[in-house]
Amino acid sequence: MRETSDIMATVRMLQEENLDVRTVTMGINLNSCMAATGEQTALQVGEKIRLKAGSLVRVCDQCSTRYGLPIVNKRLAVSPVSILLEGRGRAEALEIARAMDEAAAEVGVNLIGGFTALVQKGMTPGERTLIESLPAVLSGTGRVCASVQVGSTKAGMNVDAVKLIASTILRIAEATREQKGFGCAKFVVFANMPEDNPFMAGAYLGAGEPDCVINVGVSGPGVVKRAVERLVAGRPDCTLDDIAEEIKHTAFRVTRVGELIGREVAERLGIQFGVLDLSLAPTPRVGDSVGEIYQAMGLEKLGAPGTTAAVSLLNDAVKKGGAFASSSVGGLSGAFLPVMEDHALAQAVREGTLSLEKLEAMTAVCSVGLDMIPVPGDVPAEALAGMIMDEAAIGIANAKTTAVRLIPVPGGKAGDEVSFGGLFGSATIAGVRCPAGGAAFVNRGGHIPAPLRGLTN
Amino acid sequence: MSAGRKRFVLSVLVPDRVGILRDISTAVAGLGANIDGISQTVAAGYFTVILTVTLDKSTSAETVRQAVTDAFPPGEASVIVRDYERRAARVSHPDTDRYVFTATGADRRGILKAVTTYLADKGINIEDWYVSFDGENVTHVGEVSVPSILDIQQVQSDLQQRLNPLGMTVGFQHENIFRVTHEVGAVRPLIVGRGNA
Repeated sequence: MRETSDIMATVRMLQEENLDVRTVTMGINLNSCMAATGEQTALQVGEKIRLKAGSLVRVCDQCSTRYGLPIVNKRLAVSPVSILLEGRGRAEALEIARAMDEAAAEVGVNLIGGFTALVQKGMTPGERTLIESLPAVLSGTGRVCASVQVGSTKAGMNVDAVKLIASTILRIAEATREQKGFGCAKFVVFANMPEDNPFMAGAYLGAGEPDCVINVGVSGPGVVKRAVERLVAGRPDCTLDDIAEEIKHTAFRVTRVGELIGREVAERLGIQFGVLDLSLAPTPRVGDSVGEIYQAMGLEKLGAPGTTAAVSLLNDAVKKGGAFASSSVGGLSGAFLPVMEDHALAQAVREGTLSLEKLEAMTAVCSVGLDMIPVPGDVPAEALAGMIMDEAAIGIANAKTTAVRLIPVPGGKAGDEVSFGGLFGSATIAGVRCPAGGAAFVNRGGHIPAPLRGLTN
Repeated sequence: MSAGRKRFVLSVLVPDRVGILRDISTAVAGLGANIDGISQTVAAGYFTVILTVTLDKSTSAETVRQAVTDAFPPGEASVIVRDYERRAARVSHPDTDRYVFTATGADRRGILKAVTTYLADKGINIEDWYVSFDGENVTHVGEVSVPSILDIQQVQSDLQQRLNPLGMTVGFQHENIFRVTHEVGAVRPLIVGRGNA
């Protein structure tokens, strides 16, 4: 007989603390779908998605029942669609995106990532086509998510691409004006983009990955928060290393649950298991917030001095627990800071304790960047480009992933409330300080060379 | 078991105190017995143990019972001894999966009856069961073997229908989720070979 206290601890994590598998994401390589025409390519893209992912939802549901564990999202991530767009135009890009959208709907997944281009060193015609097609694609489809890599520690930063993307973000926002710029919530700009990230909107299947693979994103900020709360309640004078130790042990359990699900889904589907991404991904629900973890540690106001250190502590402890739990840790694997999707972060922005600048500092020690942050609709493209460059610079210099998912809200002003509903949440539009002050620097364009840290050989 | 030896199954119920297993093992050792199986637990201050012992074929069950009874003060222990029957040791049906049943809520009459009746009707074998109390609340934890042909979703639904009206929160989950959250062994061996089961 197992210890009943152990059994009930697991039951509590599931029934009361929102432990779930946030996403089971099937990666599918679409390179074999390249055909003589855009129409034929789109047809083959749809067929391959249906062939590979037709049983994904059913199998996930079986595993969810077996373990009494919710699998919140079933998703797809495909190889960079820009490869299929060489020699094609924007109309064909939209046709392929629609084929992805329809196939994703048919197999029952809610999002499909991989409408992606990697342009950190330069841009092919197909990659330019992909970026220029984004306003039409993200307004004309419901499930397709897009991402572009603009920099890496090895390659440096493609500032010309950043400029193009910044103006494209404004056009995406305008194309989805009726949804308050929601199209931008499905588009991420990366530096050092992981090839196996299962989380949206940045999931794609990179080079070197299998033809078809299962990657899993676990979550459980609620579980970590409750663990910290219990520790603090039992030992009010506990130190930060005590808290780190508690988080590490909790992350171990959360990670192992994810690996169990990922391996079983892959086994049942007869495909390879890839990685487990142990990022702490919040939802707008109370009790499922990363910000609440920092509050449980003792940060009364998010954004107060000490917040970056708290993020660093959490990120490090989660990684240490996860690394011991599984040899298949990959993806982003760190704490997320998506403002709209985390009610505690959104509240801190609303109250003015958490600014864009403080969020940027926090991203230097966790896995993502300025994520799901609504900004005024009249923000200049140069300001967006500068913010992307700042985040990319943090990632490039520190050999880590950073990302930007900013949402210019058409007609929206700093301080206005915006809500997308559901998992995408709500927040106050954040003010951008000195939006035109960096325009001359940004407009020089060109390429920022790779840092010395990139010369590792 | 060698020829000329015989196996018994022995059950002892006694108020818990230090030295009970010492007294039992001393008594059976005095008969020349070898203890080859043992399982014990304590519930509400009562110690209970089941042992299997092997000893000379000429020894009777009554002789073993008397020896163990005499190891305790008069009236302290209840002792049962039976000849061991091989069919009792049959292993679980190979086409079963281990699940863990949990139920928590305010204690009331009929909970255990409702659960165990349902499990028996479905051919689900109870391997182990534990009940604990915290004030007015009770927690049931059962480890059970479930025939693979059963629809787990239906079982979960049936249990909820029976116990939710009694104010109980119910769980019915495969044991692997408890193993991975509280053991440090690799996850992969728990999965490999399941195929499309």
